[in-house]
Amino acid sequence: MLEVIKPGLETSVQDLPGRIGYWEQGFPFSGPMDFWSFQLANLLVGNAPGGAGLECQFSGPTLRFQRDAVVAVTGADMAPELDGMPAPMWRSFTVRAGQTLALGFARLGARSYLAIAGGIDTPPVLGSRATFHQAGIGGMEGHALKKGQAVPVAESADGAEGRAGRQVIAARRPPLTGEKNWQIEVVPGPNDDWIDEAGHARFLSSDWLLQARSNRTGFRLTGPDWTFTKLATDKGPEHGEHPSNILDHGYPVGTINLCGQTPIILVNDAPSTGGFINPYTVPSAVFWKLAQSKPNDVYRFKSITLEAAQDMRREINRICTEESIEAV
Amino acid sequence: MIFEEPKFNPGGDRFIEMELGDEMSFDLNFLVHSVSGLIRESRTKGIIEIVPELTSIMISYDFEQIGYGDVVQEMTALFHALGPLDDLELDSRMFYLPIHYFDEWTRGCYEDYCAKISEKEWDPQVLVRLNGLSGLDQLAQVHSGTDYWVAALGFYPGLVSLMPLDPRCRLTAPKYNPPRTWTHKGTIGVGGALCSIYPDETPGGYQMIARTPVPIWDPAQRLAAFKQSLALFRPGDRVRFIPATRDEYDYVARQVEAGDYLHNVAEYQRFSIRNYHAWLATIDESVRF
Repeated sequence: MLEVIKPGLETSVQDLPGRIGYWEQGFPFSGPMDFWSFQLANLLVGNAPGGAGLECQFSGPTLRFQRDAVVAVTGADMAPELDGMPAPMWRSFTVRAGQTLALGFARLGARSYLAIAGGIDTPPVLGSRATFHQAGIGGMEGHALKKGQAVPVAESADGAEGRAGRQVIAARRPPLTGEKNWQIEVVPGPNDDWIDEAGHARFLSSDWLLQARSNRTGFRLTGPDWTFTKLATDKGPEHGEHPSNILDHGYPVGTINLCGQTPIILVNDAPSTGGFINPYTVPSAVFWKLAQSKPNDVYRFKSITLEAAQDMRREINRICTEESIEAV
Repeated sequence: MIFEEPKFNPGGDRFIEMELGDEMSFDLNFLVHSVSGLIRESRTKGIIEIVPELTSIMISYDFEQIGYGDVVQEMTALFHALGPLDDLELDSRMFYLPIHYFDEWTRGCYEDYCAKISEKEWDPQVLVRLNGLSGLDQLAQVHSGTDYWVAALGFYPGLVSLMPLDPRCRLTAPKYNPPRTWTHKGTIGVGGALCSIYPDETPGGYQMIARTPVPIWDPAQRLAAFKQSLALFRPGDRVRFIPATRDEYDYVARQVEAGDYLHNVAEYQRFSIRNYHAWLATIDESVRF
């Protein structure tokens, strides 16, 4: 059990691949946004790469351990401390019963991942422990951690002690630099043909500011106006009044959803359907960049092919294996 | 129109949108659900999930198991294996939902919106005026005078898009602009040409005309209908609204509260599009109830 001394800004239980099989009823997959860092944390402590762990956003939790455990912290650097002493990132270490692990404000990146050998053991809902807090599903009673809760942890199958003192090879970690400017790769579609040439050129050559009103549902962007083709301006009235309106359709996770003139990148907890067009989609391999950026960071979008996007994901899949772990 | 050939577009590295047409029509939506049924039955390796919508199907796939081109090829083949639209039938459960028209709760929500966000005409009046009805009594008759087709689910868990099957009961309405910041759980709303039931307290944009005490989703899975799934409806189900007095509403609300409410659903029906088309040909669509 982990006793929640301080919950952090929004710390939630997540797993991979998340809640699969209920998307058509409106349930998002949820799961960790930076699944690269998340899987490496699990591998460090000997869990399956998708096992349930904690996603800590912007400001991390303070947790008291009620029994010995092996843990690892990856992703954003929240300056973890064990009983007030600095604890390592990207490295598994032992926490003794009674000790307190505290994560502070993210000083590099935005989302940290905490894996514990054995994994978080909250009851699965619809086959997953991932939290979808807007609808109160999964995780700790459907929501982010709250002060005073006891988070259940499963026993590690093979005895975790031997898993302490391992680290992720430096070159296999997501390259966090603290740079405010990000290049975000995008694949055109599904509705790229609703945007005219000038609109595409403007999208790909402008700075887009990440708004503070961004969360696990959507990342809102501020930038120049969009311009449209005849598909958007010359359509049946049932599509809706604004050029960005379309008859309700499904929303891919990662898609850039154009709500009027405001693009919103739909992420892990986003609605499954709606009535706005999606001119571009951020592929899965780029999600770690979204996860680790902060409000007022600046995005530049680069159009890549579907094949290139899938190659990028294959590369992350290759990285998220035991091969990337070494003894300290 | 309904496309001769489906159109495919990528949504990043793991999604494909399959468009079957670009109009609001029952026939097109029926086609969407028929194709979706075939996709599910095909158990094509690498296809993970599908989300059927009004005119299109969103497909998620594992590109390590099936490439984009192969998804397109397989889905196109399934589309062509379907046969003529008129021969299609789908299992269709019928749900009976008590609703209380022009209730005090949606009225209160409307008044809150007027006070805090923007003055507007009362929602039922908007519908009466724009649809050429004689008043609230006729609005309730027209709105409850048809079966509704569950055309799509999504946006929020359990939220339904309902299409009236009787053209004499079609209602249209603009959406709130700007949208509401909150809506009562169980609110019945009309927006565009669709009707919806709000599964929970959420923001919203549809014109509100009634409320049901019957939950259509339940994360706590208290009632029997939610033991299998947190959400009540599946695409292709139908809904019939039964006008209820305030006392009847309260009676059902008490049953729900006690945890022993039994959802009223008939599971013995198949929907034949040929029979539906034949019936449509016999009615005068210009008449209102």
